[in-house]
Amino acid sequence: MIAPAAEWIQTRARVRAQMDAGSGHQWLELVVPQDFVAPEPGQFVQLLIESPSPVLLPRPMSVASVRERPEGLTLGFLYAPVGAGTRGLTRLTAGEAVEILGPLGRGYPLDQPGTPVLVAGGRGVAPLIFAAQELARHGASHAPRRSEFVFGARDERHLVGLDEARRELDAVGGRLHVCTDDGSQGLRGNVIAALDALEPRLEGTPVIHACGPHAMLKAVARWALERRFSAYLAMESVMACGTGVCRGCPLPRSAARRAAFDASATPSLWGNREYAMCCTEGPVFEAGDLDWEHVE
Amino acid sequence: MSRGGADLSVRIGPLALANPVLVASGTFGYGDEYAHVLDVSALGGVITKTVTLEPRAGNPAQRIAETAGGILNSIGLENVGLARFRSEKLPKLRALRATIVASVGGETPDELVRLLEALGRERGIGGFEINFSCPNVARGGARYWALPRRLERTLARLRPLTRAALIAKLSPDVTSVADLAIACEQGGADAVTAVNTFVGMAVDLDAMRSRLGRATGGLSGPAIKPLALARCHEVARAVRIPVIGSGGIMDARDALEFMAVGAAAIQVGTASFIHPGAAAAVLDDMREFLAARGFASLAAWRGSLLEPGVSAQGLPRAAHREVPRRRAARRRLARRA
Repeated sequence: MIAPAAEWIQTRARVRAQMDAGSGHQWLELVVPQDFVAPEPGQFVQLLIESPSPVLLPRPMSVASVRERPEGLTLGFLYAPVGAGTRGLTRLTAGEAVEILGPLGRGYPLDQPGTPVLVAGGRGVAPLIFAAQELARHGASHAPRRSEFVFGARDERHLVGLDEARRELDAVGGRLHVCTDDGSQGLRGNVIAALDALEPRLEGTPVIHACGPHAMLKAVARWALERRFSAYLAMESVMACGTGVCRGCPLPRSAARRAAFDASATPSLWGNREYAMCCTEGPVFEAGDLDWEHVE
Repeated sequence: MSRGGADLSVRIGPLALANPVLVASGTFGYGDEYAHVLDVSALGGVITKTVTLEPRAGNPAQRIAETAGGILNSIGLENVGLARFRSEKLPKLRALRATIVASVGGETPDELVRLLEALGRERGIGGFEINFSCPNVARGGARYWALPRRLERTLARLRPLTRAALIAKLSPDVTSVADLAIACEQGGADAVTAVNTFVGMAVDLDAMRSRLGRATGGLSGPAIKPLALARCHEVARAVRIPVIGSGGIMDARDALEFMAVGAAAIQVGTASFIHPGAAAAVLDDMREFLAARGFASLAAWRGSLLEPGVSAQGLPRAAHREVPRRRAARRRLARRA
């Protein structure tokens, strides 16, 4: 797994653009200063609206795009204004400043040998657009690897970011497999149905990189574990610090990966559990890392 | 600190701090996580995440819920345990040349005794903050420790185990935090921290359940500052030992409010989650504030609002002198008793 960036920084970014991405989603682009390390797909940043902010804590945001532009490194974010913090972000306009802390966490190990299979659910597509972008970028210098992109959503309207994903995939000769719960576009069914349909046509050993609602990620992890395929899942959590300090974003660790806690010797109010922090050990976890039974 | 300006040094019992700005337990990890953002050796001290005898897994999700101007947390004392604290965390913190205050927590007095037996003479630990006030554990939390006699007896047992400073961190959710502070003083504590988080709650109306994994959590952040300040004031009037103010300190002005009501030192907590360099900024701005008002030392500022009717307006020097004089009088009384 990609090591977390050793030296995240907190600095000011400038808003390059903010636009409607459709179906209640927004696309935000920030230009970061030179000393900001370029994030890897799957990593996130903490965005904090400058005072007076409607909220106290910064908001963790998955990076959906990284581009070198004449004005500097540009990060793109696809998000839905669902709470006070993200609604506050929608009010940012071009030229305004926002505090950014990052890059944070561990991203997708896109260099793993095998066929990359990107699996997105709804707005979980954000880091996978970036992953496709990164595969396309490497395809230019290395031997291009065909990749597969499975994109599922409730309905056609919620396939936000589909065009961006398609554009990146075209560059690397990847195939797009769309599915919707209501069948309004692509296969009728969820991403598991799409993966089942894709499985016989896969070239080489697949390496799954997924992001979406936890229920979907659980299903994808189990699907991959049953088949002994490698799978990397980008998880979500409410966070305070984002840097591992507050211990506020626990995900239950699988029995196989428990280390510090001897099940018989460690008294714990909640049984003998151990938690991985979403922010520093994740947000991208290998399927075998987590106790999916207890992931909420 | 070698930079000019007011003398910010402060003593907490046997522990000499270069300045009064500490980082609160549980908001700064084991001290090394933010070391690339700020010079932790320049802070008054680093109070570690609370250490318990055995590792603790902590509470299940959700552990964090933001509320108006505050954060509810239900971490549940997740920590690596004594053995790994000693072998992994302490050496790193020592290497950073930080003034180390180890926070320790126990479900019983015996557990605290065992922790102090193990760490009491450990090189490089300048003080111990005893966490008598965790709101998020079923046993050994704030409720358990809210008995003056229990606090006094426990501290009396801990006192001989270390020459480092003994600091008692108190909960505000008690009938009288001043009574607990007096008990700590009588038990031999060198200082008390006023205060830990306030017990709070938030409900998710869609899911119709608590927004935390447990029903309640500890509230921190700007929302609690006026409450914490009043508790700090109350405690500072009640005891002779130094009081460390804590609760919603976001900037130097907040810190100076706590010191004006009698705090000898202060802790920056939740602010570090938002700005990892917050404690360093508090220190810089405090220095600037005091310099701009012509204070030669922090001692002159400290307690300037401790006496009723005394205002910090117009540099009431006489009032500042009032505090040490009153303390001396108390000391004389204590000797006579």
